[in-house]
Order: sequence, then structure tokens, then C-alpha cells
Amino acid sequence: MATAELNKGELLRGTHKPVNWGRIALYAVLTLVSLLMVVPFVWMILTSLKTPAEIASPDAGLLPAHWEFSNYVEAFKAAPFATYARNSFIIAMSHTLINVVVASMAGYALARIKFRGSDLIFYCFVGALMIPTYTKVLPEFLIVRFMPLAGGNDLFGQGGSGWLDTWWALIVPGAVTPFAVFLFRQFYLDLPVELEEAARLDGLGEFRIYAQIMTPQVKPALTTVALLTFESSWNNFLWPLLVTHTDSLRVIQVGLSVFKTENGTQWHYLMAGTTLATLPMVVLFLIGQRYFVQGFATAGLK
Amino acid sequence: MELKRRSVLAALGAGTAAALTGCGSGASADGGSADGPAKGEITLLTPIYEKADGKKLLEQDIIGGFHKKYPDVKVTVDYTTYTQLNEKITTAMAGGLLPDVMMMGVGWIPPFAAKKAIAELPESLAAAHDYEKRVLEPSRYDGRLYALPVVLDTRIVVYRKDHFAEAGIKKTPANWTELRAMAKQLTTKGRIGFDPFSAELRQVWETFLFANGGSLFSDDGKKVLFNDTRGVEALQFFKDLIADGSADYTKKTELGAPTNVQTGKASMMVTTSALWKQLQDQKPELLEGDTLGAFVLANRRPAMLQGGTLVTQSARSKHPAAARAFVEYLASPESILGAAKQRGSVPGMRDLGAAGTAYTKENEFVDLSLKNLGNACSEGGTAAWMEIREKIKPTLEPAIVGGQSAAKAIAELGKLAEAAIARM
Repeated sequence: MATAELNKGELLRGTHKPVNWGRIALYAVLTLVSLLMVVPFVWMILTSLKTPAEIASPDAGLLPAHWEFSNYVEAFKAAPFATYARNSFIIAMSHTLINVVVASMAGYALARIKFRGSDLIFYCFVGALMIPTYTKVLPEFLIVRFMPLAGGNDLFGQGGSGWLDTWWALIVPGAVTPFAVFLFRQFYLDLPVELEEAARLDGLGEFRIYAQIMTPQVKPALTTVALLTFESSWNNFLWPLLVTHTDSLRVIQVGLSVFKTENGTQWHYLMAGTTLATLPMVVLFLIGQRYFVQGFATAGLK
Repeated sequence: MELKRRSVLAALGAGTAAALTGCGSGASADGGSADGPAKGEITLLTPIYEKADGKKLLEQDIIGGFHKKYPDVKVTVDYTTYTQLNEKITTAMAGGLLPDVMMMGVGWIPPFAAKKAIAELPESLAAAHDYEKRVLEPSRYDGRLYALPVVLDTRIVVYRKDHFAEAGIKKTPANWTELRAMAKQLTTKGRIGFDPFSAELRQVWETFLFANGGSLFSDDGKKVLFNDTRGVEALQFFKDLIADGSADYTKKTELGAPTNVQTGKASMMVTTSALWKQLQDQKPELLEGDTLGAFVLANRRPAMLQGGTLVTQSARSKHPAAARAFVEYLASPESILGAAKQRGSVPGMRDLGAAGTAYTKENEFVDLSLKNLGNACSEGGTAAWMEIREKIKPTLEPAIVGGQSAAKAIAELGKLAEAAIARM
């Protein structure tokens, strides 16, 4: 009897549950936005499977009439994309690791350690944020070219080619960004001083306070810097083009430019190559999705 | 003033290169002696031989053939794009490590010859093949030869024969008055009569300028000549076409996308001979059905803008004999024809044998261009060209899309060009 009444009550509650129009609207908007986000990727993949005539035809449908999987084979033949992808990955990973480690140390020092000139150094970092990228290209190139005792250069940077066409040129310049230092400093500034004092009372040295106590508190900053650095390094085009000349050191973005020329673009190959270039980033995102979202959500709430 | 990355690089590069000319190799600035045996490892910097088949053509066919002739020379290729070529050369020059052999565009020789970045070539090379005099002009600076042409990219007008027939037009326009009238007549059924905007604006304006009897610079490259009435009229012509409703800036197509003539949305357009190759891939029925024709733009005179790619030798090559041999080989008939076919371009010379004749007969736009080499006009002609060329489009565009007068835009461009020349 009691069970029957309970079931009846549940049934009644279920029947009269008010429709949550706000939630429906939210899902509708999110679905629409998701579709808008995914359309360029779908277009890219479908275009990579069409013939040039079909791409150019105004009457062509969304799906290819003939699925040209050979575009991928031909794109691979045109350039060593596996090598390019490997190079891009090594450079992006190196930049990410170096930036996270070195910039967080610099940011910690500027935020938590009082020393003479720390403000001036911080202002220099802020000033460096204002320098347009392209005005730095030539000075950086000259530093790399005249690097002493590298690439056949003597102590005064003469006689050889320095770091040009080497991994050093691809990785060292631009590995640490002033933006990352600035971001870390702001995060470390907000941490309570009691944490630091308690650690000192427990006898921890400065490096252990940085590494074991304070840095775990700025995980959102670590995630944000890591993601932004990886993305920007993966998409870098001009610098790798300028400092390398052998194919074995070229990166994916430079490789893709082979399909764009003064006299036209091979869209089918370009889209096949772009699909292949995008794949590692998509896989990386799928693997680390939870951490990325958490990182951005926390950083956004901060 | 807007800070452009190329102008920043150009300015920095010019200054730094001047300061660092002593750096790098110890070779002399005249390219050293090229008389010795051709051997050593050299680098080629190229913005062409791109796309899927270009690399194979260069590395297997051309360099393969070169190695058979010069087994002691090893060639490393540094591929770049035309968009980044100036940055690549400028930074390499500042670093004192210019590639031994470089390929660059029409108009680029005077700036780099003036900076002593490229070596003078013997005059005998100019007579080695059947070159049209006008084709060799962009290879010279101060009367001396610095480069050899490889491929040319001409600016011609392509039109729809079916639209002309429908409108009862029986001949191509002989001057701007006829062109305007025809463009108005052809602007119907949602089509535009003439599309001058889907090609690079700088080069189309130059084509108009040359066809109007004007010039860019004086022979010595030190005086600006385009800021006279001829230059203003050339820019005004764009505005007149828009006012007539027969040209529409918003309907221009991007490079590589289906062109307006191809899709039937325009009856005439300024384009290059490479359109033929694009149509072979994208819409071959237009070629098979003989739907398209082409003509050279004319007003006071017929004028066909001649762009293209030249090959030159670094002034500081450590292996000048090997570099010279490779320059000659890249500009030889066997190399030129392959490059022209791969890009749909015009070969830099006429005597290409039966294979060359077959190619030019197959590509009617190339054939028209070769027949009109006597009307070819080149951009550049001043040592300040690299700076000036970047300013032409952004200075002229406001007059076309906005309310600025043609005279004011040309006067402004003239001042910018005079200032750039004065800085040389």
C-alpha cells in the first residue's frame, strides 16, 4: 500500500515536472556553436577528398562525388610530412617545457623574492611585451648567425654559420616568452604569504618552496602557458623558414606552403596536408581535454 | 603610419647589411672568379618549383641533369615562397650568408645589385640564347647583366567568347573607350563586364599605366615618372569602370579560387597565362570548347606586364664557378621549358625546339604572350623598388574603394616613392 502511494507520488511529480526552457535554449545555442566550430574541420576533410574540378565547381555538393583518398598519398609524396610533423612536435614540446619551467621560476622570483632591481626587471619584461614580433626577427637572426663557437664560428662569431640550420636556432630563441613570465608573476603574487612563511618555518629552502609549495597552487597558470606555448610554437612559420634551409629541419607549417603558389593553390593537397597537420593537435586535445578545460575554467574564474 | 613587417625588415636589413658587409665569407664582392673548375657545395634559394610536382622537377630532372654535367658540384635547395622571399634574402644578407644561387622576381635585380648582394654576369650570357630585348631588361642594373630569365608571368586580358557573341561583339577592344563601352554592354544577367580586381592590384595598375603610355621611373631609376597625368588616368580608369557598374571590387576572387571568367560571372578579366593550367585542372571543358579568348590590353599603346622569375648568383659565393655553372644551367632551354610547363608560365626564350613549340601551341595564353613580347613592360627599374612595391597597393586602394581622388592617391604614392629613392 505504502509502495503504491510512493509510486503514485513519483509518477505525479514526473508528470508535472516543469519544462526547463532555459536549459533547452542553452543546449540549442551550444549545439549551434559546436556545429559552427566543427564546420571548418568537416569542410577541410571533405575538400581533402575531392578532385580539383569538383572543388572549383559551383554546383558540387558537400560530399565528394568520388572519394579521392589518393590526395593524401600524393600530398605525402610532395613533401616529407612525417619529418615535418616530428620536427614541429619536438620544437613545440621543447618550447612548452622550457617556457613552463624557466618562466615560472622567473615569475616566482619577481613576485616573491625581494631583491634590488626586481621592479626594474619586471618593467623590462612588461616593456618586452610591447615589442612587435617582426622587429625582433632580424636581431634574433643575427644573434643566431654570429653565435660564438658554434657552426664553425670563432670566439667572435665569424667564419661559420653559427646556429643557422640547427635545432638550437629552432628551439632556443623564443623558448621563454615575457608574457609567460608576466602571467606567472601575477599568479604567484596572489598566493597567501602564510604558505611561504609556514614552509620557511618548516625549514624548506627557496627552491623547494617554489617547487613543492607554491607552484602546485598555480596549476591553472601552468596549463594556460603550456597550451598557449604549444599552440603558438606548432603554428610558427616565419622563424623556422628563415633559420633553416634543409628539408630535414623544416616544420609542418613551412611544408604546407608548398601547395600555395603565386600561380594558384592546390586546395585538395593543401587540405589533405592540413588535415594531417591538425591531427596531432586534435589527438593531444582529446587526451588532455579534462586538464585543459579545468585549467581554463579555473583561470577564467580567478 | 602603419607598421608593416616587410618595411621594418627592409629598413633593418638595409642598415644592417651595410654595417655587416665585411662579415661572412672572404670572397670578393664581384662574385670572385668563376673561371676555375665548377666544384663544391652550393645552395639554391627558390620561390618556384613548388607544388607536388615542382620538387620532383627540380631535384630529379634539373639538378639530376646538372650533376651529370658537373659531378663535383652538390646543390642543396632552400625552398621558400614569394611572400617570404624578401625576408629570407634580407636576413641572409644581413647575416653575410647569402645562398650561392638565388631566384627572384622581376624588379628585384636593381635593389639587390645596388646593395652588391648579387654578382655581375658576363654579357656573353645575354647572347647565348634567343632572348627578346625587353625580356632581358629586368635582368640588368646600370646597363650590366646580373640575372637570366627563367619563366615569365604576363598580365593579359582573358574574355568569354560566348558572352561576346551573345552581345554581338565581334572584336576585342583596341583602347579604353572601347573597353568601357564593351564592359558596360556585357554587364548583364548578374555578370560584370570586366574584372580587373582578381589579379594583384599593383600589377594591374602598372598594366594600365604602361598601356596609357606612362612609365614608372626614369631610365636611371632616380626619378619618379608615374605621378603624371598618365598615372592618374590609369588609376581613374578603375574608378570609371566601377562608376559604370561594369567592375565590382567586392566580386574579386582569391588566388587559386575559381575565377569569375571561369564561372561565367565576368566576361573579361585581367589574369596571367597560368590561368590556362588552372582551367585544365578545374574546368577543362572551357578550353576544349574554345570558350575563352585573350588579348593584350591597349590604350595609347598595347602593353603586357611582364612578371616572372630570374636566376642570379650571390656576390659572395665561396664557389663562384659552381654557382655560375648552375645559374647558366637553370636558365638553359632544357630547364626553362620544364619550369614553364609546371607553372603554366611563359618560357624566358623562344628557341626551345619542338617540345617548346608543342607547349606554346597547346597553351594559347602562353602563345599570345610570346607573340607580344615586343609589348612587354616590366615593373621595377629603381634600387628602391623593394620598398616602393609594398606601398603601391595600400596607397592606391583607398582611391578605388573609398572616396579619395585618383590624383591625390597618385601624388601621395609619388611622394613616398621619391622619399624611398632619396634614401638610397
